Amino acid sequence: MAGLVTAFGSGAMTNSVPEIEEADCILVTGSNTSENHPLIGARILRAQRKGAKLVVVDPRHIHLAQFADIYARSRPGTDVAWVNGLMHIILTEGWEDREFIAARTDGFERLKEKVAEYSPERVEAITGIKQGQLREIARLYAGAERASIVYAMGITQHTTGTDNVLSLANLAMLTGNVGKRGTGVNPLRGQNNVQGACDVGGLPNVFPGYQQVTDPKVREKFEQAWEIKPEFKGLPQEPGLTLVEMMNACAEGTLKSMFILAENPVLSDPDVNHVREALQNLKFLVVQDIFLTETAELADVVLPGSSFAERDGTVTSTDRSVQRMRKAVEPPGGALPDWEIICQVAKRCGGNGFEYDSPEEVFAEMAHLTPIYGGINYSRLENEWLRWPCSSPEDLGTEFLHHDQFAKGRGLFTAVEYREPVELPDEQYPFMLTTGRQIFHYHTGTMTRRSPSLAREVEQGFIELSPYDALQLGVQDGEKVTVASRRGVIEIKVKVTSTVSRGLVFIPFHFAESAANVLTHRALDPVAKIPEFKVCAVSVSRGPQPDVRCD
Amino acid sequence: MNLPQEVLTEETRQIVSRLLRDNQVVGVIGLRTEHNHTGPHLFTSADDLKELTLEPRYPLATICQAILSSLSQGKLGVIVRGCDERALIEMAKLTNIEMERLVLIGLSCSEELARQCRCRRPYPSHIDVGEIVEGVSPLEDTQVRRLLEQNVEERLAFWQQEFARCIKCYGCRNICPVCICTECVLKEECWVERGQIPPELQFHLIRAYHIADKCVGCGACVAACPMEIPMTTFYTLVQEKLRELFDYEPGLDTKQKSPITTTLEETPLREL
Amino acid sequence: MNYKTVLTVCPYCGCGCGMYLPVLDGQLGQPIPDKTHPLSEGRLCIKGWAASEHVVSPDRLTQPLVRTGDDLKQATWDEALDLVASRLMTLRDRHGPDSLAFLCSAKCTNEENYLLQKFARTTVGTNNVDHCARL
Ligand code: SF4
Ligand code: SF4
Ligand code: SF4
Repeated sequence: MAGLVTAFGSGAMTNSVPEIEEADCILVTGSNTSENHPLIGARILRAQRKGAKLVVVDPRHIHLAQFADIYARSRPGTDVAWVNGLMHIILTEGWEDREFIAARTDGFERLKEKVAEYSPERVEAITGIKQGQLREIARLYAGAERASIVYAMGITQHTTGTDNVLSLANLAMLTGNVGKRGTGVNPLRGQNNVQGACDVGGLPNVFPGYQQVTDPKVREKFEQAWEIKPEFKGLPQEPGLTLVEMMNACAEGTLKSMFILAENPVLSDPDVNHVREALQNLKFLVVQDIFLTETAELADVVLPGSSFAERDGTVTSTDRSVQRMRKAVEPPGGALPDWEIICQVAKRCGGNGFEYDSPEEVFAEMAHLTPIYGGINYSRLENEWLRWPCSSPEDLGTEFLHHDQFAKGRGLFTAVEYREPVELPDEQYPFMLTTGRQIFHYHTGTMTRRSPSLAREVEQGFIELSPYDALQLGVQDGEKVTVASRRGVIEIKVKVTSTVSRGLVFIPFHFAESAANVLTHRALDPVAKIPEFKVCAVSVSRGPQPDVRCD
Repeated sequence: MNLPQEVLTEETRQIVSRLLRDNQVVGVIGLRTEHNHTGPHLFTSADDLKELTLEPRYPLATICQAILSSLSQGKLGVIVRGCDERALIEMAKLTNIEMERLVLIGLSCSEELARQCRCRRPYPSHIDVGEIVEGVSPLEDTQVRRLLEQNVEERLAFWQQEFARCIKCYGCRNICPVCICTECVLKEECWVERGQIPPELQFHLIRAYHIADKCVGCGACVAACPMEIPMTTFYTLVQEKLRELFDYEPGLDTKQKSPITTTLEETPLREL
Repeated sequence: MNYKTVLTVCPYCGCGCGMYLPVLDGQLGQPIPDKTHPLSEGRLCIKGWAASEHVVSPDRLTQPLVRTGDDLKQATWDEALDLVASRLMTLRDRHGPDSLAFLCSAKCTNEENYLLQKFARTTVGTNNVDHCARL
């Protein structure tokens, strides 16, 4: 997200989902779209049936790859290199959009110098993508009237995540593929309200609507609106800690208490052994959730919240559409709607301004303080489909961003250098592990594993191993193996599949008993502070190995 | 001839309103537009009748079955098109749903809709709203015709390519009014490997067997398929064979028995 | 007999597919895909179709729980909420507002996330607010 903010001034999907159908070329990378965003995957395939060219670049031969006009298997963590390579070819061939570059962007000269260093030969050596294929991708993407880039966590969850995103933004600007229908740079958000959680201030550096906490004028506005008590001396001025920094601070003992709303970092965060120890180190942990998750088991107080079917409110889908959720049934037993619980806690802590009769009132206050939501209210949502930014009652919302100018004025090219992932395979840990999701489950499995028709499909975790490596290790499909990294060891069932190539293994992270994130590391992208879930080095050995320890 | 949509909707409202007023039914299942979206709704009073709508088509038979099972007394009204009524009849053959407890408000489809659906009988047995329009042969479908001209290998290749898109959402099964076994074999490991997309071809073949003599051609499965796999083209051909060989059509009469047996436990599908 | 259908949004991925939740005599049924939804057009993936299942799971938490030693014991709302408030405020007063941190949720609504960050920033006085799905 930080990458898109630097380049364009906004971190959200530039274009709406239905517009994908208007693209002539769709470049999907780091997104297993048909499994993780199935209905967007379906749109992409529909676009292809309508004539669009589909290009998939991914280390895994994902479901979508079998339909692609071009599928290129890249080595994990080499995204900057192949995108620079594409731009190298585009510039050599003169396929760039000079008018767009001159009229709407800055920093082109430096980019040009940088990508000159990325000849197709060099890129092939780094990424494993054949020169001819790279050329063909460049031709399709640059030659399209409207080209759209779709990506997800396969791009961002690297120590170079911000660089990867900057590269994709460069590519789009270079060819003028942003600011018009059916184009853009489109990050797909994994969970139903990630977009919304960011939009409404669930981030350490911004208030709702991405208004900086360091800006005195912004603080003053919120101080007045929220009627901050004088003894508080105003709202805090410095950005707070990000999630992984919080976990480190727990371990170091500087954080004393955490309040966790319906999340399960014990499974979802990198290096979960560290997370568990960190949370145990807290003096007081509160978890509000609908199930006793692995995280809630560590809590001092667990507050029973409500499921999606038991409360009213809004969520913001990945393409900035604000939608109403409606209550269908009562929460079970003594469980309460989450918004009521938070207000109760706040009031008992002496908080001011937590008297609300309904989520609608909360929304009204929020929209009033959040310019991108300023024109949205519950009654409009009854009749209209609104995507933010929507700043006034007359504003019909925004299908695609950066139409006449970028959110930040002019778009900014950034010359990006390829850097290797922090941890690469070596003799002791010869395999490269990448993690992710699969279609039958969701996130940490808290909800999906308690859903019989989903649990039935996939009951246990598994590791994808290429047929070649399976043969070398002498393991069969369904057999148990031990997987170890410098951080931890797990036992897990093998799934032999050519989805992964030689030397690469994949583990979905939904399963507590074989948690992929025991193995992953905490190294962060320096800007976006996103952990590198997508690359780490592991060893795989046959059968249970009681002696294997991590060092 | 096609009457304007508003006229038909208004007529339907009046019928529903009468049924409710005279206490002939406890409620009527139809479609309602609310919050700018349209979905199934149980009308129990005249209050929300102004929101009654006739389109798009939703499969209402499954909802009828659920409601009837919890309705101890009285009758349930339902607005049915041809395919809805046929679905209810097939359902009645398979479950304990009693047709006598339903009050059907028959709605005839427009010519346009009949063409879109390639529907042989775009009307229920008794029409309360709209006028009968002529049916369309499913064989008029270009895709069906193309397939009929192809040889077996070509057809197999076509289906393999189509079904490769399948993401095993089970939408086709979930939405289908005649796909209602309580223990669905598609979920069983011995028939279809679990946790894999696309699922093996058996997944689709088993479903095709199971509904071969029950499919009422409502098209709900294709409409619910995220990957837009045209599976009814497949079913249509089986249906045509049934007509040809046995003069049998599903969904016409609860007392009519299917000429073939299709459960996997018993005799396999007879050679057609 | 009582039957209603309630229009809402799938709780899983960011696609935001539309669905009607049927409720028959207070019991939640399998979702009906919303055919008039501009994004999902009457379609769902397997998770959407199963969206009601976790709601009715017997594992749902129905009472607040409070730790006593190694165990989590059932408590009343008043007990749990008072404990949370007094412990949070004591720790804040002793170690400063930045000794507390808050995790918002990509599974909760905009309103709920707004309220949690408002609570953290106004009542506790810290910007230690994040969520679990950085992208
Ligand atoms: S198989 Fe498809 S067309 Fe046939 S009855 Fe079922 S849903 Fe309708
Ligand atoms: S609806 Fe389509 S994608 Fe879903 S299981 Fe059926 S054929 Fe597969
Ligand atoms: S139905 Fe599937 S694709 Fe649609 S929002 Fe839910 S999880 Fe995402």
